[in-house]
Amino acid sequence: MNAPLKPKDYKSGIKPIWCPGCGHYSVLNAVAKAMAALELSRDDTVLVSGIGCSSRLPAYTDSYGFHGVHGRGLAVAQGLKVARPDLTVITLGGDGDGFSIGGNHFLHACRRNVDITYIVMDNEVYGMTKGQASPTTPIDWDSSKLTPHGPGVRPFKPAAVALATGAPWIARGYSGNPNQIARLLSEAIQHKGFSFLHVLSQCITYCPEQTDWKAIVHEREAEPLTDASEAAALFFAESGFETGLLYHQPRAPWPPQHEQQPASLDDIAERLRV
Amino acid sequence: MTGSAELQRFLAHAVELEEEAMTRYQELAEALRAHNNLMVAEFFESMAEEAAKHLAEVREAATDDALPRLAPWEFDWPAEAPESASYEAVHYRMDLRQALELALANERSAGAFYAEFAAATDDEATARLAASYADEEAEHARRLQERLNELPPTSPSQFEDDDPAHSPE
Amino acid sequence: MTRDGLSIAITGAGGAGAISCGEMLLRAWAAAGGRGLLRKAFGPQIRGGEAAALLTLTDSEDYTAATHYDLLLALDWLNFERFEDEIRLADHAAVVCESPGDAPEFIKAARFQDVAFKQLAADSHPEGRSNMLALGLLGRALELPVESLCELAEQRLASRPQAYRDAARAGIEAGFELELSLPRPAPARGEPGAWCMSGNQAAAYGALDAGIRFVAAYPITPASDLLEWMAGPLEQLGGHLVQAEDELAAINMALGASFGGVPAFTATSGPGLALMSESIGLAVASETPVCIVNVQRGGPSTGIPTKSEQSDLDIALHGLHGDAPHLVLAPLDIGDCVFTTGWAVHLAAALQTPAIVLSDQFLGQSTAVVSEPRRHRAEPGQVVASDGDYLRYRLTASGVSAMAVPGDSDRRFTADGLEHNERGTPSASQTDHQQQLDKRRHKLDAHEFGEDWAEVAGEGELALLCFGSSAAAVRAAAARLARSGTAVRSVAIRLLAPLPVAELHDALEGCSRALVVEQNHSAQLFHYLRSQMGVDVPLRSYARPGPVPLNPDELCEFINQEMLP
Repeated sequence: MNAPLKPKDYKSGIKPIWCPGCGHYSVLNAVAKAMAALELSRDDTVLVSGIGCSSRLPAYTDSYGFHGVHGRGLAVAQGLKVARPDLTVITLGGDGDGFSIGGNHFLHACRRNVDITYIVMDNEVYGMTKGQASPTTPIDWDSSKLTPHGPGVRPFKPAAVALATGAPWIARGYSGNPNQIARLLSEAIQHKGFSFLHVLSQCITYCPEQTDWKAIVHEREAEPLTDASEAAALFFAESGFETGLLYHQPRAPWPPQHEQQPASLDDIAERLRV
Repeated sequence: MTGSAELQRFLAHAVELEEEAMTRYQELAEALRAHNNLMVAEFFESMAEEAAKHLAEVREAATDDALPRLAPWEFDWPAEAPESASYEAVHYRMDLRQALELALANERSAGAFYAEFAAATDDEATARLAASYADEEAEHARRLQERLNELPPTSPSQFEDDDPAHSPE
Repeated sequence: MTRDGLSIAITGAGGAGAISCGEMLLRAWAAAGGRGLLRKAFGPQIRGGEAAALLTLTDSEDYTAATHYDLLLALDWLNFERFEDEIRLADHAAVVCESPGDAPEFIKAARFQDVAFKQLAADSHPEGRSNMLALGLLGRALELPVESLCELAEQRLASRPQAYRDAARAGIEAGFELELSLPRPAPARGEPGAWCMSGNQAAAYGALDAGIRFVAAYPITPASDLLEWMAGPLEQLGGHLVQAEDELAAINMALGASFGGVPAFTATSGPGLALMSESIGLAVASETPVCIVNVQRGGPSTGIPTKSEQSDLDIALHGLHGDAPHLVLAPLDIGDCVFTTGWAVHLAAALQTPAIVLSDQFLGQSTAVVSEPRRHRAEPGQVVASDGDYLRYRLTASGVSAMAVPGDSDRRFTADGLEHNERGTPSASQTDHQQQLDKRRHKLDAHEFGEDWAEVAGEGELALLCFGSSAAAVRAAAARLARSGTAVRSVAIRLLAPLPVAELHDALEGCSRALVVEQNHSAQLFHYLRSQMGVDVPLRSYARPGPVPLNPDELCEFINQEMLP
């Protein structure tokens, strides 16, 4: 038996392009730590992502990875998991990737409940394209030339939407606390079904005001909610800065198992014969 | 808890603390180097070497096999290991003074952790070892403070950049 | 009877059961050894609208849609005007109907035969139905055994109430008693062992036969019935079908499964292909195999969803952004949907690239009786060696590099849509971009595609070029011209990209002129061939859009007027 792998063994050695001070380094650290803690096989784990700063993460880990197009990571991941249920599949992306261009996939991944984990690294901004407002940007954030008066649109509430569309496991982490992300992630991976880990991950470059998050973010003390109505009340009223496992109501993952009479290709050809 | 179990628990914390400090400084150094802030990168590399030395010292006192295996979130600190510089506390334009201030804060919180462990434990051997580590961290902190005293203050426009940001994708 | 077989149109308003009547008639004809094609035409309503079952009964398998019908059986005349373009009657045609006085002006049939469908059906059984009476009547005219018709009805209606099934039998038997003077086809004399299927079923079967075990798709006319038929067998073979939330998800789910080593497939139509195109580019860049069947319909935009056209050739060939070499194939007839789809699946796997198959509504939703279809057999897989240092996108002589799948030990990599180096690490360097572009182009260009790139027939200085479903009209026209003394060569192209240009030139050796035939408005194949082949062969274009299917009459007329001295 080989010695268990350390977190650094789950990193590829490719140097991230992320700005120093970016919250995504914490998530990478947490991913490696959770994988090590669960002793996941690197050969049997796939990280899937879309496009954006955060979506670069798979290349920085030493596992299989798929870095696809903008917004479609969840679709790739679900196809992979349905086809290869033996694999551990983790999807990652940012707030623009997951809640804007990929928003439809988010809704249906929550509904469908395939056994994958989805980490959204939410910095409330498009970083790769130079700091435009994203779906989670505050309504009056006026630092983007594209929306000089602020987006003027109410921010998207990821946890509320996840709950409304049926996600059975909803947690929130904060990039200032990678060990907490690692703990939540290890629980998420072990959860049978779709698990949604929303990570507040600061953007030092376009939203330096987010360094103030560390004074506001706090861990929710209570047990995770199991009642959807109570969770709805929480997700509508909350500040969005409470972390921890917030809601957990397991249900059977997709696809369900059906008793199926197997058939051969010859049997199937027979159906087309006169 | 028996004395030796308590000692092993303490050593597990010390190993994690120093190892995390070392790898974090290495990572930050790599990130700063990739962003062409060589002065701070070199400083973080030197801090990583310091942490590596201390780690070797701790490992000498510990035999790995006997250490309890804890998940990263099972240690006795609320978030990160006390000497780990936050990923979020750095900036590509940071100057050496800011880097030193960050390192100093890390040394102090590591020192405080060791001192508190020493005060809280009933196991005499553990208390002695923890106190000696606290002293070492204090010594590091003193040296960093001396260097800091010789550095000019950070310019108020330190983070300014004439060029706009790039858009890589 | 017209030269190309007996053509029968059965029409009726919603609930009249014209389609069921046509389907059962074709099956009974097939069981008796006949060959034939059933096409369906509908009004725009989901339920209750008018419907037509358009049959051609022949003894050969070059199925084209009939231009003129020998026999029209109208269960009623409600909204019959909608079929004015599609149902034209031959001069000698017979019309069987309930009230000839209600027939629209444009029906100028030689002979009306009045049959009191409703009354006769009601007399046969309290729940008697006109369409079953019509089935019996037509069965007799085709000299089919009444018992075979009754058995077919029994099978088809197995889940319905007993009285309903009894009424069907009574109706068929009553219809069979009617003695009418109707045109008759040549007796059925096909080889036994025929298959009866739609092109959509054939494509689905071809995909499964070639190893597809994962499908993700979004419903779209006229591809939905391909997916519906596939769902059951796929599951029975141990595979999975995911109904995706949209086409963007469908193609990406397929890529995910394929990345996992499970052969993956989707089917769609023009609008869906447009939505998928960004991610088909991802399949090119990340070298992930996938097979996409596009059952073409009238376009652009929502266009004419229920009717056929070959107007997605341009988007299939050129719709991807960037330099994105990939495979485009087109089945030449319904039976060939099995072979061409299977070939596309195998090529996609062997060349690690997406393959787009251009079927269309005519092939997809028509049902034909065909000889046992040829299936594509995969060549033994090319084993691409990889040394200790695994490089997913290694530059090799063939351009194909070893594709690891998750679970393979120590060959971990990240597939990437970003340009990358051999290892897969994102790179924006001139060298890496040039090398990877060359690699992806070369693996297609260097592949030996063999004889199946086209079906070439006939001799002569005049050539007819086409792709996909136009092949039937082209072959029929060529045969007709040959009978009238003009030797014609036909080249029906199955592999459109990469286009085997040298083989195409060889096929046209000695031709003085060539006509490019296709069913679209902008002569997409014509322009493509011109761009690929140079000016050696003077090409002319015959391009006509849908919805009415291409037929040999119009081709012969054009050739006689425009191309023959």
